[in-house]
Amino acid sequence: MSETSSRSTSARERAAAIRAEQARRERRGKLLMAGAAVGAVLLVVVALVAIRLSQGPGSKHATASGQATGSVLRDVSNVDPATFDAVGLGNVQAVPSKIQAPAMRQGGKPRMLYVGAEYCPYCAAQRWPVAVALSRFGTWSHLGSTTSSAQDVFPSTATLSFHNATYRSRYLAFNGVETTTNKPQNGSYAPLDKLSASDQKLEDTYNKPPYVPGSGGSIPFIDIAGRYVSSGASYSPQLLAGKSHSQIAAALNDPHSAIAKSVDGSANAITAALCDVTGQKPGNVCDSQGVKAAASRVPAGS
Amino acid sequence: MVQVEQERPSLGAPPQGFVWATLLLALAGLAVAAYLSYEHLTSSTSLACPDTGAINCVKVTTSRYSSVLGIPVAYLGLAFYLAMALLTLPALWASPRRTVRNLRLTAASSGILFVLYLVWAELFGVDAICLWCTAVHVITLALFACVLSAEALRTR
Repeated sequence: MSETSSRSTSARERAAAIRAEQARRERRGKLLMAGAAVGAVLLVVVALVAIRLSQGPGSKHATASGQATGSVLRDVSNVDPATFDAVGLGNVQAVPSKIQAPAMRQGGKPRMLYVGAEYCPYCAAQRWPVAVALSRFGTWSHLGSTTSSAQDVFPSTATLSFHNATYRSRYLAFNGVETTTNKPQNGSYAPLDKLSASDQKLEDTYNKPPYVPGSGGSIPFIDIAGRYVSSGASYSPQLLAGKSHSQIAAALNDPHSAIAKSVDGSANAITAALCDVTGQKPGNVCDSQGVKAAASRVPAGS
Repeated sequence: MVQVEQERPSLGAPPQGFVWATLLLALAGLAVAAYLSYEHLTSSTSLACPDTGAINCVKVTTSRYSSVLGIPVAYLGLAFYLAMALLTLPALWASPRRTVRNLRLTAASSGILFVLYLVWAELFGVDAICLWCTAVHVITLALFACVLSAEALRTR
């Protein structure tokens, strides 16, 4: 009887030992699989880094500047007045500041000065509303197309370029100065347009407090006939991240798009300042609902 | 004919060290993701990060790869770590429900796949490395390793 009991106990112990060994093997197998999964992830990361290092530094470049396509130029120049009216000031974060300075004129017309650079992401954002606003007073030709620097923040933001662009208007004169390209050169960017000594003096004088908010000195610097100035972008370039020129231009005519709310809104604010220096001409633009809405935030008067 | 449903063996307990490690990693990831989300929300370009060419946080966080289907990656990270912090609570590790275990494994695996995409984007799309993002990637990998190890070492 006791021998039978002893055999039974021994069998149970053996079975338990076998089960324990199976459990150990199972855990070891699972642990090996876990280790293999983590190792595979590390291997993929190392492979990605190795491939990237083998390509050498600076493989990413900004897009070379060229001319804006016909469809982009059409979209920029023909935003529906109803869209401007629907947007009003939109999501604009900054409007031009009023200054007391000698009037800036050229050819008997009020002059607007834009100083920026093709590498600059904030200039990339601000060129869109500048081009849209000026389209309401005249016509563009040879408007450029480029991207901001691939090496800077908000990399490769799609934008226009005023380098070699021509603007004709019966109300205004415009000088767009792009001081550098978007191509790195000797630790900076390759020079492009030369800022005249008098315009350099204007920028040195008015691109600082108390004329512009913040610490000043940013680009783009805009001077509207010696009556308004602005420094930097009026909305975040983040809004344009990943968007092509065509996508941005097409969004300008959709009053519900975030791009229209910032670009068209900013264009309305610039238009309100321009209307102030053109004597509220042309009437169909300056009396429009969108411009009036923006004008309520842009300080007026001479 | 009588059908007998075979009972599936219940899940054993994972090692406590791994349980707490996963929770701490999830909370660390949550903290970094919250910081990146705050910086995104305030449109800040002042991330505490050196700008030495190859390392440039703002360049990465302002690039086209900083959002997926219109949703900022920072917010996706925040949502991921909120979910992981819940799934790695000791009470949920002790849950006998296989759904919880499968959800935790799926989430950790999805996280690591997304990290691989983001590493690719940094190296080949943006051409810059964001230190804060790298911290999140390392935490995600450690979390993935701990979750898998904890599951492998469960006792019966």
